[in-house]
Amino acid sequence: MTVAIPSVKRTRDGAKFALGLWTWLVVLFLMIPIFFVVLHSFNGGNSFNIWKEWGGGRWYKRIIDDKPFRDTLINSFKAAFGSTVISLIIGALAGVAVSRRRGKWTGPFLGILFLILVTPEIIDAVALLGWFNQVPGVKNIFQNGLLGIRGGMLSLWVGHSLFSSAVVTLIVRARLEGLDESLEEAAADLGAPPGRAFRQITLPLMSPALVAGGMLSLSFSLDNTIMSSFIAGDSSTYPVYLLGTVKSTPRPSIAAGAVVLFLTTLIAAAITISTLKRSGQSSSEIASNLAAG
Amino acid sequence: MAQASGRSRRLRAPKFTMAIPGIVWYVLFYAVPVAFIVLYSFGSKPEVGGKGLVSLSDLSFKNYSAVWDSTFRQVFWNTMLIAGFGTLICALIGLPVAYFVAVKAGPKLRAALLLLIIVPFWMSFFVRTSAWRIIFAPNGWLSDFLIDIGLRSTKIGVLDSKPAVFLAVVYNYLPLMIFPIFVSLDRIEPALREASKDLGAGRLKTFFSVTLPLAGPGISAGMLLTFIPLAGDFVTATVLGGAKGNMIGRVISSFVIESQNLPKGSAAAMLLILLILLMIAAAVVVSAAVRWWLKANRRVDLPGVPS
Repeated sequence: MTVAIPSVKRTRDGAKFALGLWTWLVVLFLMIPIFFVVLHSFNGGNSFNIWKEWGGGRWYKRIIDDKPFRDTLINSFKAAFGSTVISLIIGALAGVAVSRRRGKWTGPFLGILFLILVTPEIIDAVALLGWFNQVPGVKNIFQNGLLGIRGGMLSLWVGHSLFSSAVVTLIVRARLEGLDESLEEAAADLGAPPGRAFRQITLPLMSPALVAGGMLSLSFSLDNTIMSSFIAGDSSTYPVYLLGTVKSTPRPSIAAGAVVLFLTTLIAAAITISTLKRSGQSSSEIASNLAAG
Repeated sequence: MAQASGRSRRLRAPKFTMAIPGIVWYVLFYAVPVAFIVLYSFGSKPEVGGKGLVSLSDLSFKNYSAVWDSTFRQVFWNTMLIAGFGTLICALIGLPVAYFVAVKAGPKLRAALLLLIIVPFWMSFFVRTSAWRIIFAPNGWLSDFLIDIGLRSTKIGVLDSKPAVFLAVVYNYLPLMIFPIFVSLDRIEPALREASKDLGAGRLKTFFSVTLPLAGPGISAGMLLTFIPLAGDFVTATVLGGAKGNMIGRVISSFVIESQNLPKGSAAAMLLILLILLMIAAAVVVSAAVRWWLKANRRVDLPGVPS
Protein backbone atom coordinates (compact mmCIF):
# COMPACT_ATOMS: atom_id res chain seq x y z
CA MET A 1 0.00 0.00 0.00
CA THR A 2 2.92 2.35 0.51
CA VAL A 3 3.44 4.77 -2.35
CA ALA A 4 7.04 5.64 -3.00
CA ILE A 5 7.54 9.35 -2.71
CA PRO A 6 10.63 10.53 -4.58
CA SER A 7 11.47 13.43 -2.28
CA VAL A 8 11.87 11.04 0.68
CA LYS A 9 14.79 9.41 -1.09
CA ARG A 10 18.14 11.03 -0.57
CA THR A 11 21.45 10.01 -1.91
CA ARG A 12 23.25 10.10 1.42
CA ASP A 13 21.05 9.40 4.40
CA GLY A 14 22.87 8.93 7.69
CA ALA A 15 19.73 8.25 9.73
CA LYS A 16 18.52 5.61 7.30
CA PHE A 17 21.93 3.96 7.34
CA ALA A 18 22.01 3.90 11.15
CA LEU A 19 18.47 2.50 11.40
CA GLY A 20 19.27 -0.13 8.78
CA LEU A 21 22.45 -1.15 10.58
CA TRP A 22 20.53 -1.42 13.87
CA THR A 23 17.83 -3.56 12.20
CA TRP A 24 20.38 -5.95 10.69
CA LEU A 25 22.18 -6.23 14.03
CA VAL A 26 18.87 -7.21 15.67
CA VAL A 27 18.24 -9.80 12.92
CA LEU A 28 21.75 -11.16 13.50
CA PHE A 29 21.07 -11.29 17.25
CA LEU A 30 17.91 -13.33 16.61
CA MET A 31 19.65 -15.67 14.15
CA ILE A 32 22.95 -16.50 15.91
CA PRO A 33 21.48 -19.06 18.33
CA ILE A 34 19.68 -20.85 15.48
CA PHE A 35 23.06 -21.46 13.85
CA PHE A 36 24.45 -22.92 17.09
CA VAL A 37 21.44 -25.18 17.65
CA VAL A 38 21.80 -26.66 14.16
CA LEU A 39 25.57 -27.04 14.58
CA HIS A 40 25.32 -28.69 18.02
CA SER A 41 22.66 -31.14 16.85
CA PHE A 42 25.64 -32.79 15.07
CA ASN A 43 27.85 -32.67 18.15
CA GLY A 44 29.99 -35.77 18.75
CA GLY A 45 30.15 -35.12 22.50
CA ASN A 46 27.47 -35.87 25.06
CA SER A 47 26.64 -32.31 26.05
CA PHE A 48 24.53 -29.78 24.15
CA ASN A 49 26.52 -26.87 25.61
CA ILE A 50 30.07 -27.99 24.75
CA TRP A 51 31.21 -28.77 21.21
CA LYS A 52 33.53 -31.75 21.03
CA GLU A 53 33.75 -33.07 17.48
CA TRP A 54 31.62 -33.79 14.43
CA GLY A 55 29.29 -36.61 15.43
CA GLY A 56 27.18 -37.01 12.30
CA GLY A 57 23.51 -37.86 12.67
CA ARG A 58 23.72 -39.97 15.83
CA TRP A 59 21.37 -37.68 17.79
CA TYR A 60 18.87 -37.76 14.95
CA LYS A 61 19.03 -41.55 14.99
CA ARG A 62 18.10 -41.29 18.67
CA ILE A 63 14.70 -39.90 17.63
CA ILE A 64 14.05 -43.16 15.76
CA ASP A 65 15.49 -45.47 18.44
CA ASP A 66 14.34 -43.87 21.69
CA LYS A 67 10.57 -44.40 21.93
CA PRO A 68 9.73 -42.17 24.94
CA PHE A 69 11.74 -39.34 23.34
CA ARG A 70 10.08 -39.87 19.97
CA ASP A 71 6.64 -39.99 21.59
CA THR A 72 7.06 -36.45 22.96
CA LEU A 73 7.71 -35.23 19.41
CA ILE A 74 4.73 -37.17 18.06
CA ASN A 75 2.53 -35.77 20.84
CA SER A 76 3.65 -32.27 19.91
CA PHE A 77 2.54 -32.84 16.33
CA LYS A 78 -0.77 -34.38 17.42
CA ALA A 79 -1.48 -31.51 19.80
CA ALA A 80 -0.58 -28.93 17.14
CA PHE A 81 -2.70 -30.61 14.48
CA GLY A 82 -5.79 -31.08 16.68
CA SER A 83 -5.72 -27.62 18.23
CA THR A 84 -5.20 -26.03 14.80
CA VAL A 85 -8.23 -27.84 13.33
CA ILE A 86 -10.38 -26.73 16.29
CA SER A 87 -9.07 -23.16 16.08
CA LEU A 88 -9.80 -22.95 12.36
CA ILE A 89 -13.37 -24.25 12.72
CA ILE A 90 -14.20 -21.96 15.64
CA GLY A 91 -12.31 -19.01 14.20
CA ALA A 92 -13.72 -19.26 10.65
CA LEU A 93 -17.33 -19.41 11.85
CA ALA A 94 -16.95 -16.77 14.55
CA GLY A 95 -14.94 -14.50 12.21
CA VAL A 96 -17.76 -14.56 9.64
CA ALA A 97 -20.38 -13.97 12.34
CA VAL A 98 -18.47 -11.04 13.83
CA SER A 99 -17.96 -9.25 10.51
CA ARG A 100 -21.12 -10.23 8.59
CA ARG A 101 -23.83 -10.74 11.27
CA ARG A 102 -23.14 -7.86 13.59
CA GLY A 103 -25.58 -7.21 16.40
CA LYS A 104 -25.83 -6.58 20.09
CA TRP A 105 -23.90 -9.76 20.74
CA THR A 106 -20.75 -8.62 18.90
CA GLY A 107 -19.46 -6.24 21.58
CA PRO A 108 -19.48 -8.72 24.47
CA PHE A 109 -18.08 -11.45 22.21
CA LEU A 110 -15.15 -9.29 21.09
CA GLY A 111 -14.71 -8.39 24.77
CA ILE A 112 -14.22 -12.07 25.65
CA LEU A 113 -11.75 -12.45 22.76
CA PHE A 114 -9.78 -9.47 24.07
CA LEU A 115 -9.73 -10.93 27.59
CA ILE A 116 -8.50 -14.29 26.22
CA LEU A 117 -5.70 -12.53 24.35
CA VAL A 118 -4.52 -10.62 27.44
CA THR A 119 -4.91 -13.38 30.03
CA PRO A 120 -1.47 -14.75 30.94
CA GLU A 121 -1.16 -18.36 29.89
CA ILE A 122 -0.45 -19.53 33.41
CA ILE A 123 -3.86 -18.26 34.58
CA ASP A 124 -5.61 -20.33 31.90
CA ALA A 125 -3.36 -23.24 32.84
CA VAL A 126 -4.35 -23.14 36.53
CA ALA A 127 -8.00 -22.62 35.59
CA LEU A 128 -8.11 -25.58 33.19
CA LEU A 129 -6.15 -27.87 35.52
CA GLY A 130 -8.70 -27.16 38.25
CA TRP A 131 -11.61 -27.56 35.85
CA PHE A 132 -10.36 -30.83 34.35
CA ASN A 133 -9.69 -32.35 37.78
CA GLN A 134 -12.43 -30.96 39.97
CA VAL A 135 -15.67 -31.13 37.99
CA PRO A 136 -17.15 -34.68 37.96
CA GLY A 137 -18.31 -35.18 34.31
CA VAL A 138 -15.50 -33.11 32.82
CA LYS A 139 -12.93 -34.92 34.95
CA ASN A 140 -13.81 -38.29 33.48
CA ILE A 141 -13.30 -37.14 29.88
CA PHE A 142 -10.09 -35.17 30.39
CA GLN A 143 -8.46 -37.82 32.59
CA ASN A 144 -9.48 -41.04 30.90
CA GLY A 145 -9.88 -39.83 27.34
CA LEU A 146 -12.68 -40.18 24.85
CA LEU A 147 -13.07 -42.30 21.70
CA GLY A 148 -9.51 -43.61 21.97
CA ILE A 149 -7.93 -40.19 22.36
CA ARG A 150 -6.01 -39.75 25.59
CA GLY A 151 -7.21 -37.36 28.26
CA GLY A 152 -3.99 -35.35 28.21
CA MET A 153 -4.21 -34.89 24.44
CA LEU A 154 -7.83 -33.67 24.72
CA SER A 155 -6.71 -31.23 27.42
CA LEU A 156 -3.96 -29.93 25.12
CA TRP A 157 -6.40 -29.51 22.24
CA VAL A 158 -8.68 -27.43 24.44
CA GLY A 159 -5.88 -25.45 26.08
CA HIS A 160 -3.93 -24.65 22.93
CA SER A 161 -7.05 -23.78 20.92
CA LEU A 162 -8.26 -21.09 23.36
CA PHE A 163 -5.69 -18.49 22.38
CA SER A 164 -5.30 -19.64 18.75
CA SER A 165 -9.02 -19.66 17.93
CA ALA A 166 -9.31 -16.09 19.24
CA VAL A 167 -6.41 -15.07 16.98
CA VAL A 168 -7.92 -16.87 13.96
CA THR A 169 -11.28 -15.14 14.59
CA LEU A 170 -9.61 -11.73 14.54
CA ILE A 171 -7.58 -12.49 11.40
CA VAL A 172 -10.70 -13.73 9.55
CA ARG A 173 -12.59 -10.65 10.71
CA ALA A 174 -9.80 -8.34 9.49
CA ARG A 175 -9.80 -10.08 6.11
CA LEU A 176 -13.59 -9.99 5.62
CA GLU A 177 -13.90 -6.37 6.74
CA GLY A 178 -11.46 -5.43 4.01
CA LEU A 179 -13.70 -7.10 1.41
CA ASP A 180 -16.92 -5.90 -0.15
CA GLU A 181 -20.02 -7.77 0.96
CA SER A 182 -21.60 -7.47 -2.50
CA LEU A 183 -20.37 -10.85 -3.76
CA GLU A 184 -22.08 -12.69 -0.91
CA GLU A 185 -25.23 -10.59 -1.33
CA ALA A 186 -25.26 -11.32 -5.06
CA ALA A 187 -25.08 -15.05 -4.34
CA ALA A 188 -28.06 -14.76 -1.99
CA ASP A 189 -30.02 -12.67 -4.51
CA LEU A 190 -29.37 -15.28 -7.19
CA GLY A 191 -30.98 -17.85 -4.93
CA ALA A 192 -28.01 -19.64 -3.38
CA PRO A 193 -28.97 -21.16 -0.03
CA PRO A 194 -26.85 -19.78 2.86
CA GLY A 195 -24.79 -22.96 3.20
CA ARG A 196 -23.86 -22.94 -0.47
CA ALA A 197 -23.08 -19.21 -0.51
CA PHE A 198 -20.79 -19.80 2.46
CA ARG A 199 -18.98 -22.72 0.82
CA GLN A 200 -18.60 -21.22 -2.64
CA ILE A 201 -18.16 -17.50 -1.93
CA THR A 202 -17.25 -16.68 1.68
CA LEU A 203 -14.91 -19.61 2.32
CA PRO A 204 -12.66 -18.97 -0.73
CA LEU A 205 -12.62 -15.25 0.08
CA MET A 206 -11.33 -15.85 3.58
CA SER A 207 -8.98 -18.74 2.78
CA PRO A 208 -5.80 -16.59 2.99
CA ALA A 209 -6.81 -15.62 6.52
CA LEU A 210 -7.37 -19.28 7.41
CA VAL A 211 -4.01 -20.32 5.98
CA ALA A 212 -2.21 -17.57 7.94
CA GLY A 213 -4.23 -18.29 11.09
CA GLY A 214 -3.54 -22.00 10.80
CA MET A 215 0.18 -21.33 10.49
CA LEU A 216 0.16 -19.15 13.62
CA SER A 217 -1.84 -21.68 15.57
CA LEU A 218 0.50 -24.51 14.51
CA SER A 219 3.64 -22.68 15.60
CA PHE A 220 2.01 -21.48 18.83
CA SER A 221 1.05 -25.03 19.79
CA LEU A 222 4.39 -26.63 18.85
CA ASP A 223 6.24 -24.29 21.22
CA ASN A 224 3.69 -24.07 24.02
CA THR A 225 5.41 -24.79 27.32
CA ILE A 226 3.64 -23.15 30.25
CA MET A 227 0.09 -24.35 29.58
CA SER A 228 1.29 -27.81 28.52
CA SER A 229 3.41 -28.30 31.64
CA PHE A 230 0.18 -28.01 33.67
CA ILE A 231 -2.33 -29.98 31.62
CA ALA A 232 -0.43 -32.42 29.33
CA GLY A 233 -0.91 -35.26 31.83
CA ASP A 234 -0.37 -38.59 30.04
CA SER A 235 0.55 -36.87 26.74
CA SER A 236 3.82 -35.10 27.47
CA THR A 237 4.92 -32.89 24.55
CA TYR A 238 8.41 -31.93 23.43
CA PRO A 239 8.52 -28.57 25.28
CA VAL A 240 7.38 -30.30 28.48
CA TYR A 241 10.12 -32.89 28.01
CA LEU A 242 12.66 -30.07 27.53
CA LEU A 243 11.52 -28.40 30.74
CA GLY A 244 12.33 -31.66 32.53
CA THR A 245 15.90 -31.67 31.19
CA VAL A 246 16.79 -28.45 33.06
CA LYS A 247 18.04 -30.29 36.12
CA SER A 248 20.52 -32.48 34.23
CA THR A 249 23.16 -31.79 31.58
CA PRO A 250 21.27 -31.25 28.32
CA ARG A 251 22.21 -33.71 25.56
CA PRO A 252 22.63 -32.71 21.91
CA SER A 253 19.46 -34.72 21.24
CA ILE A 254 17.41 -31.73 22.44
CA ALA A 255 18.87 -29.82 19.48
CA ALA A 256 18.09 -32.65 17.05
CA GLY A 257 14.42 -32.68 18.13
CA ALA A 258 14.23 -28.90 17.87
CA VAL A 259 15.69 -28.98 14.35
CA VAL A 260 13.09 -31.58 13.28
CA LEU A 261 10.23 -29.41 14.61
CA PHE A 262 11.84 -26.32 13.04
CA LEU A 263 12.08 -27.92 9.60
CA THR A 264 8.46 -29.08 9.81
CA THR A 265 7.33 -25.53 10.60
CA LEU A 266 9.50 -24.15 7.78
CA ILE A 267 7.91 -26.55 5.31
CA ALA A 268 4.43 -25.59 6.54
CA ALA A 269 5.41 -21.93 6.16
CA ALA A 270 6.71 -22.48 2.62
CA ILE A 271 3.39 -24.09 1.67
CA THR A 272 1.53 -21.21 3.34
CA ILE A 273 3.52 -18.58 1.50
CA SER A 274 3.07 -20.21 -1.90
CA THR A 275 -0.69 -20.59 -1.27
CA LEU A 276 -0.99 -16.93 -0.31
CA LYS A 277 1.08 -15.86 -3.33
CA ARG A 278 -1.29 -17.75 -5.61
CA SER A 279 -4.24 -15.97 -4.00
CA GLY A 280 -2.63 -12.71 -5.03
CA GLN A 281 -1.23 -11.26 -1.83
CA SER A 282 1.94 -9.22 -1.95
CA SER A 283 4.96 -10.50 -0.09
CA SER A 284 4.64 -7.73 2.51
CA GLU A 285 1.04 -8.65 3.23
CA ILE A 286 2.03 -12.31 3.59
CA ALA A 287 4.80 -11.48 6.01
CA SER A 288 2.54 -9.36 8.20
CA ASN A 289 -0.18 -12.02 8.01
CA LEU A 290 2.23 -14.67 9.22
CA ALA A 291 3.43 -12.43 11.99
CA ALA A 292 0.43 -10.85 13.57
CA GLY A 293 -2.52 -10.95 11.23
CA MET B 1 -24.35 -25.51 8.42
CA ALA B 2 -26.40 -24.51 11.38
CA GLN B 3 -28.89 -22.44 9.42
CA ALA B 4 -30.36 -25.23 7.34
CA SER B 5 -33.55 -23.27 6.81
CA GLY B 6 -34.15 -24.84 3.40
CA ARG B 7 -34.59 -22.53 0.42
CA SER B 8 -36.01 -19.57 2.30
CA ARG B 9 -33.93 -16.46 1.64
CA ARG B 10 -34.43 -14.76 4.99
CA LEU B 11 -32.33 -16.24 7.75
CA ARG B 12 -34.41 -17.30 10.69
CA ALA B 13 -31.45 -18.24 12.82
CA PRO B 14 -30.19 -15.59 15.24
CA LYS B 15 -27.25 -13.51 14.06
CA PHE B 16 -24.79 -15.13 16.42
CA THR B 17 -25.52 -18.68 15.19
CA MET B 18 -22.12 -19.10 13.55
CA ALA B 19 -20.38 -17.87 16.68
CA ILE B 20 -22.06 -20.54 18.83
CA PRO B 21 -19.13 -23.01 18.72
CA GLY B 22 -16.86 -20.18 19.86
CA ILE B 23 -19.26 -18.97 22.55
CA VAL B 24 -19.69 -22.51 23.94
CA TRP B 25 -15.93 -23.11 23.87
CA TYR B 26 -15.07 -19.85 25.65
CA VAL B 27 -17.79 -20.15 28.29
CA LEU B 28 -16.97 -23.78 29.01
CA PHE B 29 -13.17 -23.58 28.89
CA TYR B 30 -12.38 -19.95 29.65
CA ALA B 31 -15.01 -17.87 31.48
CA VAL B 32 -16.25 -20.51 33.94
CA PRO B 33 -12.86 -22.13 34.73
CA VAL B 34 -11.18 -18.74 35.23
CA ALA B 35 -14.05 -17.56 37.45
CA PHE B 36 -13.56 -20.73 39.49
CA ILE B 37 -9.94 -19.77 40.31
CA VAL B 38 -11.35 -16.93 42.39
CA LEU B 39 -13.42 -19.45 44.35
CA TYR B 40 -10.54 -21.96 44.63
CA SER B 41 -8.29 -19.27 46.07
CA PHE B 42 -10.56 -19.11 49.13
CA GLY B 43 -10.83 -22.90 49.48
CA SER B 44 -8.46 -25.36 51.10
CA LYS B 45 -6.50 -28.43 50.11
CA PRO B 46 -8.64 -31.51 50.86
CA GLU B 47 -7.58 -33.92 53.58
CA VAL B 48 -5.69 -37.02 52.45
CA GLY B 49 -8.17 -39.28 50.67
CA GLY B 50 -10.57 -36.42 50.06
CA LYS B 51 -12.23 -35.86 46.70
CA GLY B 52 -10.94 -33.47 44.04
CA LEU B 53 -8.17 -30.91 44.33
CA VAL B 54 -10.01 -28.27 46.34
CA SER B 55 -12.31 -28.43 49.32
CA LEU B 56 -14.78 -25.56 49.32
CA SER B 57 -16.42 -26.39 52.64
CA ASP B 58 -14.68 -23.67 54.59
CA LEU B 59 -13.80 -20.50 52.69
CA SER B 60 -11.24 -18.05 54.05
CA PHE B 61 -8.41 -15.67 53.22
CA LYS B 62 -5.82 -17.98 54.74
CA ASN B 63 -4.26 -18.93 51.37
CA TYR B 64 -3.50 -15.29 50.71
CA SER B 65 -1.84 -14.76 54.08
CA ALA B 66 0.09 -18.03 53.68
CA VAL B 67 1.29 -17.09 50.18
CA TRP B 68 2.25 -13.49 51.02
CA ASP B 69 5.45 -14.22 52.95
CA SER B 70 8.86 -12.57 52.61
CA THR B 71 10.02 -14.99 49.89
CA PHE B 72 6.90 -14.29 47.85
CA ARG B 73 7.26 -10.53 48.30
CA GLN B 74 10.81 -10.87 46.95
CA VAL B 75 9.54 -12.83 43.90
CA PHE B 76 6.67 -10.38 43.43
CA TRP B 77 9.15 -7.51 43.28
CA ASN B 78 11.45 -9.49 40.98
CA THR B 79 8.52 -10.18 38.60
CA MET B 80 7.64 -6.48 38.44
CA LEU B 81 11.27 -5.64 37.78
CA ILE B 82 11.86 -8.25 35.07
CA ALA B 83 8.52 -7.71 33.31
CA GLY B 84 8.68 -3.91 33.60
CA PHE B 85 12.27 -3.39 32.51
CA GLY B 86 12.07 -6.25 30.00
CA THR B 87 9.14 -4.48 28.31
CA LEU B 88 10.96 -1.13 28.27
CA ILE B 89 14.16 -2.62 26.83
CA CYS B 90 12.15 -4.43 24.14
CA ALA B 91 10.41 -1.14 23.25
CA LEU B 92 13.70 0.75 23.00
CA ILE B 93 15.31 -1.93 20.83
CA GLY B 94 12.18 -2.72 18.82
CA LEU B 95 10.94 0.77 17.92
CA PRO B 96 13.86 1.67 15.59
CA VAL B 97 13.56 -1.76 13.95
CA ALA B 98 9.81 -1.37 13.37
CA TYR B 99 10.41 2.16 12.08
CA PHE B 100 13.08 1.06 9.60
CA VAL B 101 11.00 -1.87 8.32
CA ALA B 102 7.77 0.14 8.00
CA VAL B 103 9.08 3.49 6.79
CA LYS B 104 12.55 3.22 5.30
CA ALA B 105 12.73 -0.25 3.73
CA GLY B 106 11.43 -0.93 0.20
CA PRO B 107 8.70 -3.58 -0.30
CA LYS B 108 11.12 -6.46 -1.06
CA LEU B 109 13.46 -5.70 1.83
CA ARG B 110 10.51 -5.22 4.14
CA ALA B 111 9.06 -8.67 3.40
CA ALA B 112 12.52 -10.24 3.78
CA LEU B 113 13.15 -8.52 7.13
CA LEU B 114 9.71 -9.45 8.52
CA LEU B 115 10.38 -13.09 7.62
CA LEU B 116 13.89 -13.00 9.11
CA ILE B 117 12.41 -11.67 12.35
CA ILE B 118 9.75 -14.43 12.53
CA VAL B 119 11.76 -17.45 11.37
CA PRO B 120 13.83 -17.85 14.58
CA PHE B 121 10.55 -18.19 16.46
CA TRP B 122 9.70 -21.37 14.66
CA MET B 123 12.43 -23.15 16.57
CA SER B 124 11.76 -24.35 20.09
CA PHE B 125 12.29 -21.31 22.31
CA PHE B 126 13.83 -23.39 25.07
CA VAL B 127 16.52 -24.90 22.85
CA ARG B 128 17.37 -21.72 20.96
CA THR B 129 17.53 -19.71 24.18
CA SER B 130 19.75 -22.38 25.75
CA ALA B 131 22.08 -21.90 22.80
CA TRP B 132 23.24 -18.62 24.38
CA ARG B 133 24.80 -20.86 27.03
CA ILE B 134 27.06 -22.26 24.29
CA ILE B 135 28.16 -18.74 23.35
CA PHE B 136 28.61 -17.34 26.85
CA ALA B 137 30.01 -20.49 28.49
CA PRO B 138 32.84 -19.52 30.91
CA ASN B 139 35.07 -22.10 29.21
CA GLY B 140 33.65 -21.53 25.75
CA TRP B 141 35.37 -20.24 22.62
CA LEU B 142 34.12 -16.66 23.02
CA SER B 143 35.56 -16.46 26.53
CA ASP B 144 38.91 -17.91 25.37
CA PHE B 145 38.94 -15.61 22.36
CA LEU B 146 38.33 -12.45 24.42
CA ILE B 147 41.10 -13.44 26.82
CA ASP B 148 43.47 -14.25 23.93
CA ILE B 149 43.04 -10.87 22.26
CA GLY B 150 43.40 -9.15 25.61
CA LEU B 151 39.89 -7.70 25.91
CA ARG B 152 39.24 -9.60 29.13
CA SER B 153 41.53 -10.99 31.76
CA THR B 154 38.94 -13.30 33.34
CA LYS B 155 36.39 -15.79 32.04
CA ILE B 156 32.94 -14.55 31.00
CA GLY B 157 30.50 -14.72 33.93
CA VAL B 158 27.32 -13.49 32.27
CA LEU B 159 25.27 -16.65 32.80
CA ASP B 160 22.96 -16.98 35.81
CA SER B 161 23.02 -13.24 36.41
CA LYS B 162 20.51 -10.39 36.00
CA PRO B 163 21.92 -9.37 32.57
CA ALA B 164 21.41 -12.98 31.42
CA VAL B 165 17.76 -12.75 32.54
CA PHE B 166 17.25 -9.70 30.33
CA LEU B 167 19.16 -11.27 27.44
CA ALA B 168 16.72 -14.21 27.44
CA VAL B 169 13.70 -11.94 27.88
CA VAL B 170 14.64 -9.57 25.05
CA TYR B 171 15.61 -12.46 22.81
CA ASN B 172 12.18 -14.05 23.21
CA TYR B 173 9.82 -11.08 23.45
CA LEU B 174 11.27 -8.65 20.90
CA PRO B 175 9.02 -9.70 17.97
CA LEU B 176 5.91 -9.32 20.14
CA MET B 177 6.95 -5.69 20.46
CA ILE B 178 8.13 -5.14 16.87
CA PHE B 179 5.02 -6.39 15.03
CA PRO B 180 2.27 -4.23 16.59
CA ILE B 181 4.49 -1.14 16.27
CA PHE B 182 5.30 -2.09 12.67
CA VAL B 183 1.58 -2.42 11.84
CA SER B 184 0.71 0.98 13.33
CA LEU B 185 3.65 2.74 11.61
CA ASP B 186 2.75 1.05 8.33
CA ARG B 187 -0.77 2.53 8.50
CA ILE B 188 0.45 6.13 8.72
CA GLU B 189 0.08 7.85 5.34
CA PRO B 190 3.49 9.01 4.08
CA ALA B 191 1.70 12.23 3.04
CA LEU B 192 1.46 13.24 6.71
CA ARG B 193 5.24 13.15 7.08
CA GLU B 194 5.55 15.04 3.81
CA ALA B 195 3.15 17.71 5.01
CA SER B 196 5.09 18.08 8.24
CA LYS B 197 8.28 18.56 6.25
CA ASP B 198 6.69 21.02 3.85
CA LEU B 199 5.49 23.06 6.82
CA GLY B 200 9.09 23.38 7.93
CA ALA B 201 9.49 20.71 10.59
CA GLY B 202 12.87 19.00 10.72
CA ARG B 203 13.16 15.20 10.74
CA LEU B 204 13.35 14.87 14.49
CA LYS B 205 10.43 17.20 14.98
CA THR B 206 8.39 15.28 12.40
CA PHE B 207 9.22 12.02 14.16
CA PHE B 208 8.35 13.24 17.65
CA SER B 209 5.34 15.42 16.73
CA VAL B 210 3.72 13.42 13.92
CA THR B 211 4.94 9.84 13.60
CA LEU B 212 5.37 8.89 17.25
CA PRO B 213 1.93 10.17 18.44
CA LEU B 214 0.24 8.37 15.52
CA ALA B 215 2.10 5.16 16.38
CA GLY B 216 1.03 5.54 20.03
CA PRO B 217 -1.71 2.89 19.95
CA GLY B 218 0.68 0.39 18.32
CA ILE B 219 3.35 1.06 20.92
CA SER B 220 0.82 0.61 23.73
CA ALA B 221 -0.40 -2.63 22.13
CA GLY B 222 3.17 -3.87 21.77
CA MET B 223 3.95 -3.08 25.40
CA LEU B 224 0.76 -4.78 26.57
CA LEU B 225 1.40 -7.86 24.40
CA THR B 226 4.94 -8.08 25.76
CA PHE B 227 4.29 -7.23 29.39
CA ILE B 228 1.32 -9.51 30.11
CA PRO B 229 2.73 -12.83 28.84
CA LEU B 230 6.12 -11.92 30.28
CA ALA B 231 4.66 -11.29 33.74
CA GLY B 232 3.17 -14.81 33.73
CA ASP B 233 6.20 -16.52 32.18
CA PHE B 234 8.31 -18.66 34.48
CA VAL B 235 10.60 -20.44 32.04
CA THR B 236 12.25 -17.83 29.79
CA ALA B 237 14.01 -15.83 32.51
CA THR B 238 15.40 -18.96 34.18
CA VAL B 239 16.86 -20.57 31.04
CA LEU B 240 19.85 -18.24 31.16
CA GLY B 241 19.34 -16.42 34.46
CA GLY B 242 18.90 -19.43 36.74
CA ALA B 243 17.57 -18.49 40.18
CA LYS B 244 17.97 -14.78 39.34
CA GLY B 245 15.05 -15.22 36.96
CA ASN B 246 12.56 -16.50 39.54
CA MET B 247 9.11 -15.11 38.87
CA ILE B 248 5.59 -15.52 40.26
CA GLY B 249 4.79 -18.13 37.63
CA ARG B 250 7.43 -20.42 39.15
CA VAL B 251 5.75 -20.08 42.57
CA ILE B 252 2.31 -20.83 41.10
CA SER B 253 3.71 -23.83 39.27
CA SER B 254 5.46 -25.19 42.38
CA PHE B 255 2.29 -24.80 44.49
CA VAL B 256 0.05 -26.45 41.88
CA ILE B 257 2.32 -29.11 40.36
CA GLU B 258 4.87 -29.97 43.03
CA SER B 259 2.89 -29.51 46.27
CA GLN B 260 -0.46 -30.33 44.59
CA ASN B 261 -1.99 -27.35 46.39
CA LEU B 262 -4.40 -25.79 43.89
CA PRO B 263 -6.00 -23.36 46.40
CA LYS B 264 -2.63 -21.83 47.28
CA GLY B 265 -1.68 -21.72 43.59
CA SER B 266 -4.97 -20.00 42.79
CA ALA B 267 -4.30 -17.36 45.45
CA ALA B 268 -0.85 -16.74 43.95
CA ALA B 269 -2.47 -16.55 40.49
CA MET B 270 -4.89 -13.88 41.78
CA LEU B 271 -1.91 -11.92 43.10
CA LEU B 272 -0.30 -12.16 39.65
CA ILE B 273 -3.46 -10.67 38.09
CA LEU B 274 -3.34 -7.92 40.73
CA LEU B 275 0.30 -7.18 39.86
CA ILE B 276 -0.50 -6.93 36.15
CA LEU B 277 -3.45 -4.61 36.75
CA LEU B 278 -1.37 -2.42 39.09
CA MET B 279 1.43 -2.08 36.55
CA ILE B 280 -0.97 -1.30 33.69
CA ALA B 281 -2.76 1.30 35.84
CA ALA B 282 0.60 2.90 36.67
CA ALA B 283 1.55 2.96 32.97
CA VAL B 284 -1.79 4.54 32.03
CA VAL B 285 -1.39 7.25 34.70
CA VAL B 286 2.17 8.04 33.62
CA SER B 287 1.31 8.23 29.91
CA ALA B 288 -1.74 10.41 30.64
CA ALA B 289 0.46 12.77 32.64
CA VAL B 290 3.03 12.95 29.83
CA ARG B 291 0.28 13.67 27.28
CA TRP B 292 -1.18 16.40 29.44
CA TRP B 293 2.23 17.99 29.88
CA LEU B 294 2.96 17.88 26.14
CA LYS B 295 -0.41 19.37 25.33
CA ALA B 296 0.10 22.20 27.79
CA ASN B 297 3.57 22.96 26.43
CA ARG B 298 2.89 22.63 22.73
CA ARG B 299 -0.22 24.74 22.55
CA VAL B 300 -0.28 26.93 19.48
CA ASP B 301 -2.21 30.15 19.82
CA LEU B 302 -3.67 31.16 16.49
CA PRO B 303 -4.35 34.86 16.22
CA GLY B 304 -8.04 35.59 15.77
CA VAL B 305 -9.14 32.08 16.79
CA PRO B 306 -10.72 31.94 20.25
CA SER B 307 -9.16 29.15 22.28
